[in-house]
Amino acid sequence: MQPDDKFAKAAGLLLHSPPGEVDDVFNDIRGIVNDDAALQEHIEPILAESNTQQFYIAELKNSQSKVLLTPYNQVKTNEFIDPNTRTQFSFDHLHRTVIEEWEVQSDEAQQDEELRKALQQQVDGYVSKHYPSGCATVFLHEAAVVTCIVSNRFSPSNFWNGSWRSVWSFDASSGQLNGSVKVKVHYFEDGNVQLDTQTDFSADISKQDGETEEKVAERVAKVIKEYEAQFQQSIADGYRQLSERTFKGLRRMLPLTRSKVDWEKLANYKIGGELANAES
Amino acid sequence: MADFEENEQQMDCALDLMRRLPPQNIEENLVTLLEILPELTEDLLSAVDQPLKVRKDAVEGKEYLVCDYNRDGDSYRSPWSNQYDPPLADGSVPSEGLRKLEIAANEAFNTYKELYYEGGVSSVYLWDMDDSFAGVILIKKVNDGTVRAKGSWDSIHVVEVLEKGRTAAYKLTSTVMLYTVASGAKGDRQSEINLSGSLTRQDERDLPIEDANSHVVNIGRMVEDMESKMRNSLQEVYFGKTHDIVNGLRSAADLEEAKTRERLQRDLFGQLKSRKD
Repeated sequence: MQPDDKFAKAAGLLLHSPPGEVDDVFNDIRGIVNDDAALQEHIEPILAESNTQQFYIAELKNSQSKVLLTPYNQVKTNEFIDPNTRTQFSFDHLHRTVIEEWEVQSDEAQQDEELRKALQQQVDGYVSKHYPSGCATVFLHEAAVVTCIVSNRFSPSNFWNGSWRSVWSFDASSGQLNGSVKVKVHYFEDGNVQLDTQTDFSADISKQDGETEEKVAERVAKVIKEYEAQFQQSIADGYRQLSERTFKGLRRMLPLTRSKVDWEKLANYKIGGELANAES
Repeated sequence: MADFEENEQQMDCALDLMRRLPPQNIEENLVTLLEILPELTEDLLSAVDQPLKVRKDAVEGKEYLVCDYNRDGDSYRSPWSNQYDPPLADGSVPSEGLRKLEIAANEAFNTYKELYYEGGVSSVYLWDMDDSFAGVILIKKVNDGTVRAKGSWDSIHVVEVLEKGRTAAYKLTSTVMLYTVASGAKGDRQSEINLSGSLTRQDERDLPIEDANSHVVNIGRMVEDMESKMRNSLQEVYFGKTHDIVNGLRSAADLEEAKTRERLQRDLFGQLKSRKD
């Protein structure tokens, strides 16, 4: 393998990092590659992709406004927009800090801005009610109003990290709402256990005659809430199914005889199969 | 010397990385690591546990499990016929006495596997050490009975044995890899839940030995106890802990209502208390 391919491959592993462990994975990659200068060349765009993929929550210095880094508000690799304060900012993906902020030059009145604002308000209300550490930003992106929600809880000292991420894209002209939710959990005390779950939804929310933007936003937020609640319920159902059926079907707690194995007997039997037949 | 230190650091980082990357892609990630660190291929293959693969012994017609412990070059040894596939003229095999013990252990664990797993495949491999021996007990069970929920269990128990007169010291390191996947579609919704990974535990015991078969009895009991304990841990960690974490990310109940209720309760308690005073 060419050295360049090697560095690119190593850097690419960063995108598989569990929530909250990007720095640890980065350090491992550094130790493996053992060539900071070469890694530097490849890591920048990967770090940018990782931060936007994980919906990193950036905090602006001037307004204290919190805004998610996503593909929907990314202007350049290291520049983003906060639609709520109309601020554009540059971002250091390695240290994960905002570098510079400036006002967005508005050249045109954006369609759907009223709807976006109304939805931001609705979603903020919803998030504060159901996500203990959640944050959401609503963007205008390619003729759609896109809602991104993230809720992270990191507890490395207790050997676990988790994140919930949702994206809801609403096309106001067709009334189509598409959503996808990803939940990842990493538990790593004496092992490496990960939950990886994903779901996709779609719904039709056509605007009714004479309906205000506020009213439409309220209905969109209501559907988001309903689907996310259903998904949480379906995760619980999945857990029950995996635990009660799948897990129990793999290994019994005790043999059918309800007693532990008689190893003295097993060790002295020449043909194990005969014993199994005799015992059942 | 510098090379040695560099390799050691790379190995530590590679193992830490494998403990963090999703166990769902363990094989893919290992391949990537081997491409980046070809000089550490042997070390990585022996240090990273992978899901066990099943092969068929052409001589005995029985299935066996392959892993790094029964590998010699590109060939794997079957515990049933003691033959390598593809054949190897000088493939390493256990000494005569140890092979006898290996046969007895394979038969005993085959029965153990039937009793607890009601199916699946097991294999035991032993190898000679300077004054003692070591071995690995492998069990694999795949559950693909239903389309909606699939699962697999892989046990890897590495045991080191040191005979000390009439007792022997056993050191057991056990890893269980559990993969479970549930998927479903309902109208305009589709979802998949993949809960996978591995846990590792250790145990050490000094136990009496009377004859060679005592080793099968002692190791058997240790593995049985360990698997029972690990089954409980898996149940707790997989289906308890990780689910609690999900419910901590999103609260099904309205957090503001809960806060209001708490405040009301506190106020009420305060009023009752001041009435008493």
